[in-house]
Amino acid sequence: MAKKHIYRTRLLFALIVLPLIFSCSSDKTTPKEDVVVEPFPSTYLPESKESYVIEHATVLTGTGKQLEDADVFVENGKIKLVGQNFYVPADVKRYDGNGKWVTPGLIDVHSHLGVYPSPSIESSQDGNEMTNPVTAEVWAEHSVWTQDPVMKLALAGGVTTFQVLPGSGNLIGGRGVTLKNVHSLTVQGMKFPGAPHSLKMACGENPKRVYGEQGIAPSTRMGNVAGYRNAWIEAQAYRLEWDDYLEQTASGETAEQPQRNLRLETLAEVLRGNIMVHNHCYRAEEMMIMIDLAREFNYEIAAFHHAVEAFKITKELAAADICAAVWADWWGFKHEAYDHVKENAAMLENAKACAIIHSDSEIGIQHLNQEAAKSMAAGNKNGLELEPKHVINWITSNPAKAIGVDKLTGSLQEGLMADMVIWSGNPFSIKSKVEKVFIDGVLQFDRESTRRKQLSDFDIGILDPEGNRL
Amino acid sequence: MSLVLGHLRPNRISSGSLITMLFALVVMTFAPNLLAEDILIKNAKIHTVSEQGVLLQSDIYISDGYIMNVGKSLSPTGNYKVIDATGKTVTPGLSNPMTQLGLEEISAAPSTVDYATENKRHTASFAIYPAINMYSTLVPHNRINGLTRAIVQPLSPDNVFQGSGASIALVSNESGLLKESVAQFVNYGIAGSEAAGGSKASAYAVIDKALEEANYLRNNRTRYEPGFDWHFSLSVDDLDALKPVLERQIPMVVSANRRSDILQMVKLADKHSVNIIIAGAAEAWTVADQLARAKIPVMFDPMQNVPASFDSLAVRLDAAAILSEAGVELIIGFASSHNAYLVRQSAANAVANGLSEDKALEALTINPAKYFGIENYGRIAIGMEADLVIWDGPPFEITSSADAVIIKGEEQPMVSRSTRLRDRYWQPSSKKTTAQSDNSDKEK
Repeated sequence: MAKKHIYRTRLLFALIVLPLIFSCSSDKTTPKEDVVVEPFPSTYLPESKESYVIEHATVLTGTGKQLEDADVFVENGKIKLVGQNFYVPADVKRYDGNGKWVTPGLIDVHSHLGVYPSPSIESSQDGNEMTNPVTAEVWAEHSVWTQDPVMKLALAGGVTTFQVLPGSGNLIGGRGVTLKNVHSLTVQGMKFPGAPHSLKMACGENPKRVYGEQGIAPSTRMGNVAGYRNAWIEAQAYRLEWDDYLEQTASGETAEQPQRNLRLETLAEVLRGNIMVHNHCYRAEEMMIMIDLAREFNYEIAAFHHAVEAFKITKELAAADICAAVWADWWGFKHEAYDHVKENAAMLENAKACAIIHSDSEIGIQHLNQEAAKSMAAGNKNGLELEPKHVINWITSNPAKAIGVDKLTGSLQEGLMADMVIWSGNPFSIKSKVEKVFIDGVLQFDRESTRRKQLSDFDIGILDPEGNRL
Repeated sequence: MSLVLGHLRPNRISSGSLITMLFALVVMTFAPNLLAEDILIKNAKIHTVSEQGVLLQSDIYISDGYIMNVGKSLSPTGNYKVIDATGKTVTPGLSNPMTQLGLEEISAAPSTVDYATENKRHTASFAIYPAINMYSTLVPHNRINGLTRAIVQPLSPDNVFQGSGASIALVSNESGLLKESVAQFVNYGIAGSEAAGGSKASAYAVIDKALEEANYLRNNRTRYEPGFDWHFSLSVDDLDALKPVLERQIPMVVSANRRSDILQMVKLADKHSVNIIIAGAAEAWTVADQLARAKIPVMFDPMQNVPASFDSLAVRLDAAAILSEAGVELIIGFASSHNAYLVRQSAANAVANGLSEDKALEALTINPAKYFGIENYGRIAIGMEADLVIWDGPPFEITSSADAVIIKGEEQPMVSRSTRLRDRYWQPSSKKTTAQSDNSDKEK
């Protein structure tokens, strides 16, 4: 809890206080350029202020509860009330939830939608800036093609929020971005308002292979770790230089603004606690090294991604309060993915660690509920008693926590964004379908209505000039 | 252990009973432990994948590797193990025709991978069966998840003719290799274009010419003795390897996704009078009627609904239902070796999107058996080899899993490297504790 509090405070500092300081300081020091922490701000504004209530549904809250015959009241795009026997004005629109289940909107903490879009052709492979092992200066949001048709497929699978990450070819691959799954012509129009930036880091085989093959560092796992440490040492010095400058200008002294360095600016923001680290890391020993490394440089790791060996260190992950984002069953494609158990997520849950099911896949992102269901079944087959009310967290509130938006979305609580899915039944049965998806209270997908079948520009007129794809 | 000869054997497998008796004696003499215990499965819901349909509260009697009887309240004589399957469902063991099982251990470690060759002189004649390792950890991993049969394909992106694939049963010994060559695999579509130099037209020409030359060679074989100066587009070995295709002993599995490419392959098959299977088949539903008329089956993964290339723009989640409705026979696959068993999830998604359960099960069992010549497999019926899975829930439910797996009459240990790792790291003391959230009420 304390950790979260620090994040929020630091985040405010980053988004509000820093620009203020910079704009103030610009008067005193007349710097050559303005430093803006959020130069590509979100322009997303929910389109409707409609109020409505979903009645008599089975509700999975994302906070560990399953409510039967419950209502969800939405007002101004926010969740107002969840429960039973509360007063709703008579003129408010009603959705019949009888026999249906309501869950928070699903969140995928690991996707490459838009940066590795479909169709996959050479000219749209924009997710891996593999020209240097440390490219903290690149931002995934600058690669996103907003008309990637998979975003609409993911919406039909109940995904309301997804994080787009750079690939794992580099030690430090660049900034990730958290998007709302809404139709927009611009990436700014999809950016999740208030979501912190993230940094993609990668352990293991990928970076050492990419650069080792070119005969440059890193070519080994020890080379990987030296690469991270050197980058953080530079970042520490850069942060110090800037913090001195900000302190001096804040106290009224005249000071020369240091030269901006995009790479180090990102890393310094991590050290300040304003950017959340998402670390691709398969093996137990590498995750433990990364935990120590984060301690050495005093930053926090939000989540290990592809944590195939997380089941070996569940207690350590729980103690470090680091989420482990895992697949239900992928393994064996690389040596570091060889030690696989189907019970990985279940074992994390059992150890009271933060378990997340992520996709890293255009298919998987459409079926996060099925992937979670498989992991639940695997745990229960081996004696656990996991229920939908627990497992829903793996694809809603836990990923929300990992990307730093759990105070905004990811669970059905008063005041949170009305990001919700109405399912035809238990979402952990394959028979159940996503019927309606709401984002900030707005109905974005409706299986029964063609008007609400969202199409990307790509889908239009491509198969048949007068028709649409699907 | 009961004696093999003590049981009535169904006619179709007892022809030449003397040979059978001799074989049984030989087996018993030299390898008595190979003879599995007889098994009676009681009170199961049985998906027979036959005219019998689904049987409720019924029994299956297995002896000597074969299904000896299926029906209600069976009480065979002799000694056998009884498996109570009350409340459970039995299906034939599932198959996946799109695997490299036994040909790869770790995909990104080339020394453990044998499914591809860059050798341009080794195309249609690239037969992968000698490289199959039935002791791979992938075999038990898939087996305990309900996969009992598979087709093992070559996967050579550099050649239009990839070579021939084999059929296997998922047992961890050499007897798992069933047939060395069950189909010739051919890259058309984008893969074919790339292998042929950058155009589908080149790939088309490679296939067309090879079939023509193979046919010529077949009819003039005696003229082409070693040392004779020949001028063919492929090596004589490669052309010889196409003979069983031309004689329709094995099918040609052609990868094609785009509507126009699929139709070209339909015409090509007709021109050369060969049997083909369309693999990939993303846009096949748009030409379902033509495929049904030509009696050409499609082999694909129904979960692949992403327009991954410009060849698969029309791909959709309910394609299996549309194709089946039009009368096209389906072979459902999932392109994976490590998780080949997830073919069940793919089929379940087809069912969730309109395909009937019966058709989906056929696509996982009897259809691949029919098109790839896997004998005595694919139905629960007297005389079939006993490949069965007992599921703890509906077979097309995502949360169901295998309770028992029987291959060729032998109950398989439900153990894999993965379950060993799980058991090593499982915390037994907390095994029964509830999950982290909302545990306050449970702990009282």
